[in-house]
Amino acid sequence: MRFPTGNSLRTWLWLLVVLALGGLFYWGMQRNPKELPSVLAKERRPAPDFTLPVLPPYQKEWRETFKLSDHLGEKPIVLNFWASWCYPACYEEAPVLEATWRRYKDRVLFVGINTQDKEGDALRFIEQFGLTFPQVFDPRGRVGVDYGMYGVPETFVIDREGRVVVRHAGAIDQTTLEQYLKEVLP
Amino acid sequence: MRVWALLFFLALGVWAQENPASPPPDLSPEVFAIARELRCPVCQGESAAESNSGVAVEMRRIIAEMLQEGKTEEEIKAFFVDRYGVWILYEPPRRGVTLWVWVLPVLGLVLLGLGLFAYFRPKKPLPPELLEEVERRLKEPPA
Repeated sequence: MRFPTGNSLRTWLWLLVVLALGGLFYWGMQRNPKELPSVLAKERRPAPDFTLPVLPPYQKEWRETFKLSDHLGEKPIVLNFWASWCYPACYEEAPVLEATWRRYKDRVLFVGINTQDKEGDALRFIEQFGLTFPQVFDPRGRVGVDYGMYGVPETFVIDREGRVVVRHAGAIDQTTLEQYLKEVLP
Repeated sequence: MRVWALLFFLALGVWAQENPASPPPDLSPEVFAIARELRCPVCQGESAAESNSGVAVEMRRIIAEMLQEGKTEEEIKAFFVDRYGVWILYEPPRRGVTLWVWVLPVLGLVLLGLGLFAYFRPKKPLPPELLEEVERRLKEPPA
């Protein structure tokens, strides 16, 4: 092989630079700028604990406050962050969550976290969809920050060891939700 | 009388504003200085200092609380990075993979400069024999 010298070497160098820049550009275009990374789900971190007041309709069955760590390790948990002002996404997924909860209630615990909302509006939403899984109230949205939440609705799936394995941003549909459940169910 | 009626109607507007769930805490400029370096998670191109979205308001409240607890700016930023990843920082850290974000523009400028220099560099003068030959031919009467 002849070693390129002088002009030919420079041409190769420029070609390399152009190719590298082109490659970088192509890679950049392939990335989804709307992709929202979840540190919790990616590293399968233990679910951050929280204690929140239970909304009145559920207090009889779930007492006045709900502490997540009291329920970790028994069954997988589906945490759903929602708000009554989150239209239409939260309204789309509410019936899906309720139906799935009814089918899996003996194997999976569903918990709704009403986020940055007013209690009256939240109760109206709950009544509208006849939600029967426990609902807790977080008007500040503090727990959302601990979960690295971007915006409602967001759903987290916690396995039986108490680690976050899935973060789903946006309204969730039946098929996707059941797929996630299959991942954490034995 | 009319003036009072007008004032009364103008004052009615006060009721149109809803009371926030809890009064916004009096935040120090220090809170905003830190919030300006953090991204608002639900916004596009807005920092946690500018946005009035629920998450951004809560982030500012958390920053204020952490400052009160005596946490440093670095600790507060680390708190958010721990939950959201480096994505939350407006300025990517100048180390690791994100160092390239800082280095590449400078590298690009250097390359561009080199390219321009190579392109506009004064050309080597033509050899004198050639110039003489051209001059001689020009002087020749056309055949």
